[in-house]
Amino acid sequence: MEAVVTAVDVAEQRARALVGRAEHRSLGVVRAAAAAEFARAAGETSPRLIDPEHAAFVVHPMYVVSLLRGAAGADDEEFRPDGMYRDEVPGTDGLDVALMAGGQDVRWVADVRPGDRIDVRRTLTTVERKGRGAGFLLLTVEKTYGTAERGVLAEVTERFIVR
Amino acid sequence: MTNQDVSAAADNATGRPTMPGAKIAPVRAVPDAVRLLRFGAVTRNAHRIHYDAEFARSEGLAGPVVMAQLHGCLLHRAATAFADGDPRAVRALGWQNRAPARPGDRLIVTGIVRTVDDATGEVTLDLEETLDDGTVCCLGHAVVALRS
Repeated sequence: MEAVVTAVDVAEQRARALVGRAEHRSLGVVRAAAAAEFARAAGETSPRLIDPEHAAFVVHPMYVVSLLRGAAGADDEEFRPDGMYRDEVPGTDGLDVALMAGGQDVRWVADVRPGDRIDVRRTLTTVERKGRGAGFLLLTVEKTYGTAERGVLAEVTERFIVR
Repeated sequence: MTNQDVSAAADNATGRPTMPGAKIAPVRAVPDAVRLLRFGAVTRNAHRIHYDAEFARSEGLAGPVVMAQLHGCLLHRAATAFADGDPRAVRALGWQNRAPARPGDRLIVTGIVRTVDDATGEVTLDLEETLDDGTVCCLGHAVVALRS
């Protein structure tokens, strides 16, 4: 009997073909007011994070590494039916699979400052099949966040679960 | 040494625990549906598992779930509090999502000092985010620089 190829199988095959391929995206220019709004939305109360007029104001370190897109947003055709961006999880575009975040490791090299134009470089590094039966995919992506002028500001290892 | 003894081992100037095994001050939060909507909006995260109950259930979840990045922010807040409120002192943060949290769940981030590097002034914290019933939502760690 012929084995049934599942959407997870297809995602795995596609993802393995993408390993090592670098992608690039701009998040646009960091605005102090937007960073403060992020901090308030996260529940922060420290004036250092929520008041751009405060003498010691800093962009919340989690701000840019939490952004899925910059201020320009995305067009309708860039979304999957589940609301996720088609290109957010490598290899899953057009497939009926469930996506979950698996966690992150963030290393800050330097502060992100208002006015920084942030570019993200992303590379899928590993594809692992886990669990029993059909199991699930664990995809690991390495990202750098930085500017042309200041270089790398943060490095992120991000994991996605595909099932 | 008991946990109580370890908790009491604090830096004289700041009151901050500085010995391996010492507990850090816990951080509590109850992210509700409004917070999830706001957080999703500012991060441009439209994934339906965060606001669409029927869709979330179709994905095998009990209902909408808290975003991974919002969990990360709570862990970051705990590490920042350890650094006397200096967000920039947190040099690294990592976490694994272990179980989902739903809007309205009461979350608590606890942690202990794992190591102290006297040469660099960096302290590594082990962090854990749990629900009221003890369910572990996230396991993580942070590296905090106590002097720059």
